[in-house]
Amino acid sequence: MRKLISSITVFLLGGILLTTFFTMPEGAKELSDYYISSGVVDTGAINLITAILFDYRGFDTLGEATVIFAAACTLAFLVPKQKVHMLSARFSVIVQQSISFILPFLFVIGMYLIFYGHLSPGGGFTGGVVLASIVILTTITFGISYSDRQVRPRVKSLLESFGAIGFVIFGLFGIFAGGAFLANGQAGFDLGIPGELTSSGLIPYINFMTGLKVAAGLSIMFTSLIKEE
Amino acid sequence: MNSIYAVVGILICIGFYTILTKTNLIKMVIGINIIESAVILLLVALSYKPGGSAPILDKGYELVVDPIPQALALTAIVIGASTTAMMLALIIKIFSKHHTLDVREIRNLRG
Amino acid sequence: MGIILHVLLVFSVLIAIFAVSTKNLLNSVIAMSVFSASFVIIFIVLQAPDVALVEAVVATGITTGFFVITLNKLEGVK
Repeated sequence: MRKLISSITVFLLGGILLTTFFTMPEGAKELSDYYISSGVVDTGAINLITAILFDYRGFDTLGEATVIFAAACTLAFLVPKQKVHMLSARFSVIVQQSISFILPFLFVIGMYLIFYGHLSPGGGFTGGVVLASIVILTTITFGISYSDRQVRPRVKSLLESFGAIGFVIFGLFGIFAGGAFLANGQAGFDLGIPGELTSSGLIPYINFMTGLKVAAGLSIMFTSLIKEE
Repeated sequence: MNSIYAVVGILICIGFYTILTKTNLIKMVIGINIIESAVILLLVALSYKPGGSAPILDKGYELVVDPIPQALALTAIVIGASTTAMMLALIIKIFSKHHTLDVREIRNLRG
Repeated sequence: MGIILHVLLVFSVLIAIFAVSTKNLLNSVIAMSVFSASFVIIFIVLQAPDVALVEAVVATGITTGFFVITLNKLEGVK
């Protein structure tokens, strides 16, 4: 009975969705045409997605970082933190040696993705997740007590708060320079030559702060999930 | 493009059916993940233009795909990962209290 | 390009049906990882390299890690 009602509901939903998709009107795209034609001049970043995320819609990105912060806080409150539980899996020497061989390269990839975010695909979120995966791989392979000794939980929460506060402070620079909050080119910062590493004003610094914040937040989430009463 | 729209509709239906009929909590989270991926595929498909290149304006581009839906999709993926982590933490708490993942038994225990 | 896109779309639907219908939870979690990996190639074909990178790192990597850790803690569940 329950499956019958569910099937009827799902078929109705599918019909509505498909008719909506196939009769969707082709809207006017003035805003994206403006971004494509003058995005490089306005922001100095040749990757338009980074230009939208960290310049035109930087306030949205601040909200997204707040969501990650709230999720990490909720996880840390939900899961008790008295006793630390080791994973039941034991790995051989080959796994441990190859993981410790991979880790420096992962660090380089993460930093490359963060600092070249305005020139190539990548950015603060991707690089931050790659940096968080270093902590996660260490935790899975060597156990959580070793991982907590290498990167202390106090350091992780400090890095997360540093990233969040740094993002807001770089946003306030725009107000001090005479523009709006999170303003970059409008406030008169030097945009440099598009395509070079030190171009596009404040975008690389905001990228770095977001990367720190995402890396610390996701590793805090993982270590909170792994703990047990 | 039409085939992508059809696949998005089918995937949303699969995820919705999973949420409605399965009684396992982890299966419900998987259904929510499938719906989320389908919506991201819809956003990316809306941004695509035939013959367009990726929105990185290095040199020598003629037609560029729409960058706004891609930026929205990027935001959605990261938020989806953190909400998934929150759902899994709630599942761990439910399991440590009721020792089951079945939705019906949890409802019976509440009385 | 069109052939690759259509094959991957059909494959992603099949793997989604497998992920929701299998009895073993670990199988369905790994199937979700494969589902996201097929989406990565679809995004690259649709000219969205940023979204493809984030999907590869987040949905295929971190989310699967969260699921596996959760299953590891829920021992004795079918």
